[in-house]
Order: sequence, then C-alpha cells, then structure tokens
Amino acid sequence: MAHVVLKDLVKTYGSFKAVNDVSLTVNDGEFVALVGPSGCGKTTTLNLVAGLISVTSGDIVIGDRVVNDLDPKDRDIAMVFQNYALYPQKSVYMNLAFPLQMRKLPKDEIDRKVREAARVLDMTQLLERKPRELSGGQQQRVALGRALVRDPAVFLMDEPLSNLDAKLRVQMRSEIKRFHQDLKATIIYVTHDQLEAVTMADRMAVMNGGYLQQYDSPAQVFAHPANMFVASFVGSPAMSLIPLEASTANGGAVLTSAEGWSLALSPRNAQKVARATTRKVVLGARHSTIKLHKSAIADAIPAKAYTVEPTGDVTFVQAFLSGAIVNISVSPNVAIAPDEQIWLEFDQERIHLFDSETEVALEAS
Amino acid sequence: MTIVSGKAEARRTLQSARSDVLRKMWEHRADYAYVLPAIAVMLIVIAYPIYYTIELSFFNTPPGLQLRDKIFVGLNNYTAILTSGVFWQVTFNTLIWTVASTFFSFVLGFAAALALHRDFIGRGVLRAILIIPWVISAVAASYIWKWIYHSDFGIIGAVLVELGWAERPPNFIDSVSTVLPSLIVVNIWREFPFAMIMMTAGLQTVPEPLLRAAKVDGANAWQRFWHVTFPHLRNVSTVTILLLAVANFNSFIIPWIMTGGGPSNASHIWITHIYELAFGRQRWGVASAYSVLLFIILMTLGYFYVRALSGNERKDGGA
Ligand SMILES: Nc1ncnc2c1ncn2[C@@H]1O[C@H](COP(=O)(O)OP(=O)(O)OP(=O)(O)O)[C@@H](O)[C@H]1O
Ligand SMILES: [Mg+2]
Repeated sequence: MAHVVLKDLVKTYGSFKAVNDVSLTVNDGEFVALVGPSGCGKTTTLNLVAGLISVTSGDIVIGDRVVNDLDPKDRDIAMVFQNYALYPQKSVYMNLAFPLQMRKLPKDEIDRKVREAARVLDMTQLLERKPRELSGGQQQRVALGRALVRDPAVFLMDEPLSNLDAKLRVQMRSEIKRFHQDLKATIIYVTHDQLEAVTMADRMAVMNGGYLQQYDSPAQVFAHPANMFVASFVGSPAMSLIPLEASTANGGAVLTSAEGWSLALSPRNAQKVARATTRKVVLGARHSTIKLHKSAIADAIPAKAYTVEPTGDVTFVQAFLSGAIVNISVSPNVAIAPDEQIWLEFDQERIHLFDSETEVALEAS
Repeated sequence: MTIVSGKAEARRTLQSARSDVLRKMWEHRADYAYVLPAIAVMLIVIAYPIYYTIELSFFNTPPGLQLRDKIFVGLNNYTAILTSGVFWQVTFNTLIWTVASTFFSFVLGFAAALALHRDFIGRGVLRAILIIPWVISAVAASYIWKWIYHSDFGIIGAVLVELGWAERPPNFIDSVSTVLPSLIVVNIWREFPFAMIMMTAGLQTVPEPLLRAAKVDGANAWQRFWHVTFPHLRNVSTVTILLLAVANFNSFIIPWIMTGGGPSNASHIWITHIYELAFGRQRWGVASAYSVLLFIILMTLGYFYVRALSGNERKDGGA
C-alpha cells in the first residue's frame, strides 16, 4: 500500500485543458472519490495516475517515487474499468490469472492467488465460465478480482458501478466498501454519482471543468461547501440557491429580495456578509434545514407551493423564491396542495452564503 | 383396438399437420407470387446449367459431331480424369496456388493493416495506394506483369542484370520450375489489399478499454496483440481466409492471360484447364465432369464459410 500525491497536474488536448492544476494527496489506505459532472476530467485524471496518458505538466507520486515516466505496468497500480474490460475469449480463471502471468509468477502461486481472490469475491463456482456467460454484477466482481489478485499499491476504479441496475449498485457499493476496510487498500474511485462518493469515500475530491473544487471528507463537503458549484452538486435534492441583495443597517444585516420580502441575518451571518466585496449575495439552504409553515409566523417568508412530491418517508415541496426553485422536505403527514400559500423559515445556523460574482462561500473570519 | 385407434390418430395428426402446412402456404400465396419471377430466373440461369453440366459429364462429344449427337459413356469421363497424369498435376498446381496465394495474401494484408493502424501523417494516402492493385482490372494487371516478367524486355530481368546479380534475365514465366511461383506473386500482389481492408475493419473494432486493461495488467505490445487483438480478429480472419480461398480456387484471369496454363501445363489450374478442355478442345464431357468435381469441392468450402459466418452471429448474440 502506498500514498499518492498529485502536484499541479495539468493535461491539455490541443488548447483544451482537460485537467487544470489539480493537487491532492491520497493517504496510505485512504478511499478517495473523484466526483463531478460528465466531462469534468475525472477519467483523464485517473488515466494520468494509471499512466495510460502522459501528463502535460505536474508530478504524480506513488509511494515514494515520481512515476511520470513509468509505464502503467511499473506503477504498481490496478485498475477497474467502467465497462469491466474483461478478456472475452478467456475464462474467468484466465482473466484473473492474466496479470499474474504477465508478471511471470510461478504457476502454483498464480493458482493459489486466483483461487484466493475467487473465494474472497465468492465466485469460485464461476471460474470456468466466459465473461459473456456472467451477469453484470458477476462481471463487475471479476473485474474487481483481476485488480485484487495483484495486491497493488493503489487501486484505481473508473465508475465501476455505473453499468449496474440500481439495486445491484447499492449492494456492490457496500461490497467495495467492505473490501476497502478489509484490505486497508488505497483506492481512488471515480464516479459522477455524488451519493456514491458520499457513502463510500473517506474524502471526496469534487471536480468541475478540469479544476479541483473542494477536497475534504463527505461530511465537511456537505456541511461547508466551498462554493456554489459544490453546494449544488453534493446532496439530493440539490441545495436551493436564492439570489438576494445585502444591506447593512445599524450593525445588523438584512437580505432583501426583489420580490419585496427581506430576511434579517444573525450576527455571525451578518459578519460574513460584511466581509464580502459585493452586495449581491446568494443564500443557500438544504431542503431539510428549511421549515415549512402553513400559517404566517415571525421571520418566515411567504411563498406558494409549486409542486408536491410524496416519496413515502418524506414529501418534497418545491416553491419559487426570488426566481429560484426552493426544495423543502416535510413529513408525509403534512398535507399540502399545489398553489397553496406557505411560509418558509430558514435556520440561521445552517444556511450558506455565497458571493454571487465569485460564487465562493462567504466566511465569518 | 387401442393400437388401431392409435394408428388412426397418428394418421389424423399427420393429415392435419399436412393440411396445416398447405393452409399456411395458401395464406402466403401472394408472397410466393412475389418471389416467383426471381425463382424462375434462377432456375433458368443457374439450376438448368448445373443440371446440364451434370448430364454432359456422362457423355462423350467427339470433335466434329454436333453436341446433340453426344454418346453416353457412363462414368468413363470421371475415370479418365482420375487416372490421367494431367489431372494430378493440375490438382497439385491448384492446391499450391490456392494455399500459397491465400496464406501470403492474408499475412501480407494483415501486416499492412497492422502497420497502417497507428495514426501517422500520410496514412490515408498510403492506404489508398495499397488498394490500387485490387481495384485495377485483373486483365490489365496480367498484361502489365507479363511485360514486367518478360525475359527480353522485362524490368525485373533488366534490373537484375544491371545490378550484376544475373548473367542474363531469368525466364520467370517461360520456365516450368518458376512459372507457378511467379504467377502466385502476381496473384498475391493483386489480392492482399482485400485482406488488408478486411483486417483494417476488424482492427477498428478492437475495444480500446481492453487494450488499456492489458497495459495495466502488464502486457507488452506483443502480448497485447496476442491476448487481445488477435482473439478479437479470429472471426474476421476466418471469413477473410475462406473468401480468399474460394476466390483463388476459382482463379482464371491471371494464369489464363499470362501463360494460358503453360509451359507444358506447369501453370494450369482447375478453372483454366476446364476452360481449355471445353472451349479449346471441345471436350465438353470431360470438362463437365471436371466442373462437377469442382462444384462438389466448392460447395464443401461454402459450407464451412456459412458455418463460420453463423458462428459469428451466435457469438455476437450471446455477448
Ligand atoms: N483524447 C482526447 N482528446 C481531446 N479531448 C479529450 C480527450 N479525452 C478527453 N477529452 C476531453 O476532456 C474532458 C474530460 O474528459 P474525461 O473523460 O476525463 O471526463 P469525465 O469526467 O471522465 O466524464 P464522464 O463522467 O462523462 O466519464 C472532456 O471534455 C473530454 O471531451
Ligand atoms: Mg469518465
């Protein structure tokens, strides 16, 4: 096992920058999720670490070696591909044995390791089958096994679950997590599904447009998104972002909407706004931190319910505020009809404030 | 009693099955009408000649007699063929011709496809140039090569003499020992582009992730070829080789134009030999018997071709 360091990593295709100055450290035994929307450079970053494409500038360190100029086979990594990339003409056994054969291990050792991996992944009875005779989940497991037999320093996984159906995905998610805990493996895991990242990773690196947006534990990313992109990307339904105008009056601060209503800020939030260079502030609030009232109370903002989506344990209500969609979750026994008048109360401790020009989160001090 | 009734029942189900088929055919009568013209044309231009060839193969047609004065000779034509020395020489030539042409065309075409698979400047132009031998007329190519090989005016001979590698220009196609290899070279030159095109198409379908996986697994370039690329190309290789083999077995233009089968049958293959027997010497019966034998051989090859093709489908369907 080893740690991985990316230093100012850049990859350009012609004039297009697919990866932009990405720097991050993956500790020994850590599970890091690389997450972001399609085309943000996750696969490119992973392929750079694997050595499947060459870096434009910057350094990649695995263990204590700079591996920039090493071939993939010399980097001591194993990779699980999105489409599994199993060798279709080889049996499961031969697929698992292949990386060991390429490393010229003795036959009996190969056999021992293959059977051990098959046992761990519970597919001993599948060893003689060809990949096309396996279900998606089984193929996925073989792909995992092929990475596992090698006992590499780092595991790289590129959306290994994206081809599975929802139920199997949840199951494999916990299997991979279990696998990480048992092996104390260093894993870099690419996904575009923020839920996968949040549930599996020790730390998540959120990427957008080739830039690293935030690199922290899922809890921190969730509680303190660094900017509006991260705020809206992590969490489902997305955080509501409401554009407002800030003004200060005798020590206090108020956010005013073009619609006429205003929200007095707590001293701490007022401090954040005071430090901002702009008056245009975006208020962010997660669905669970907004209280919904069916009658007017002090400090609550009037709105109209737009859609109501019962999901069973919780009902989501959408409303428009200042031209932005606001998601609120309420308990299913609260009856609300579309177009009904409602009042929304924000939790001052749990709202987020962003500079609407730089989109960066405002800090108190 | 039970037995009788059982039989009656069986007959009844048989009858109902038959009437079922008839009813279905009747329901589809319009469909049969649609294909009728095509079937009629096929019968006239394919089935009848085949039948007539088989019939002729049992008759003797001495020169000077009309075709309708043919004399029934039973299997004499076949026994005559199988006991003649020429038959074995022509068969041997055909085998050498087919195997060597197919093998080298395939290997050369595959190599060219691999070489041109990597992206480099001028690749498109090079591909286009390599396809030329395949698209120009075989007749023209044969005449060109006849001149290239010519023992007095041929360019190869001239170059060899100029370089001092030969006293005098070699007799490529006038000598019994070199004529067949010389013609095979022309044939390979003409049809390796076909193999190249087929294998290029195949190469383009090799999944990139598999090659990457093999790279990560530690396979070098040769191992990636052997473990990923080559297995992936197995089916297209089979089809290419079979198509080449059938085409070579049926070759006519190159040997006929360049040597006419000579000198002393050294470059005769089956088709040229049959053609000469029939249209040169009017020995229709013997030529027909030859044709029937050839037909049987080609049908066997065709069977394997179809099997290879349907094997592909089964695999793709299962994947
Ligand atoms: N070989 C290439 N040539 C040019 N541009 C490329 C190449 N490979 C990737 N890109 C571009 O780089 C960007 C990042 O691609 P990448 O494959 O890393 O995205 P991703 O984050 O993995 O997205 P997805 O979730 O869809 O897989 C994309 O805009 C893509 O178009
Ligand atoms: Mg990707």
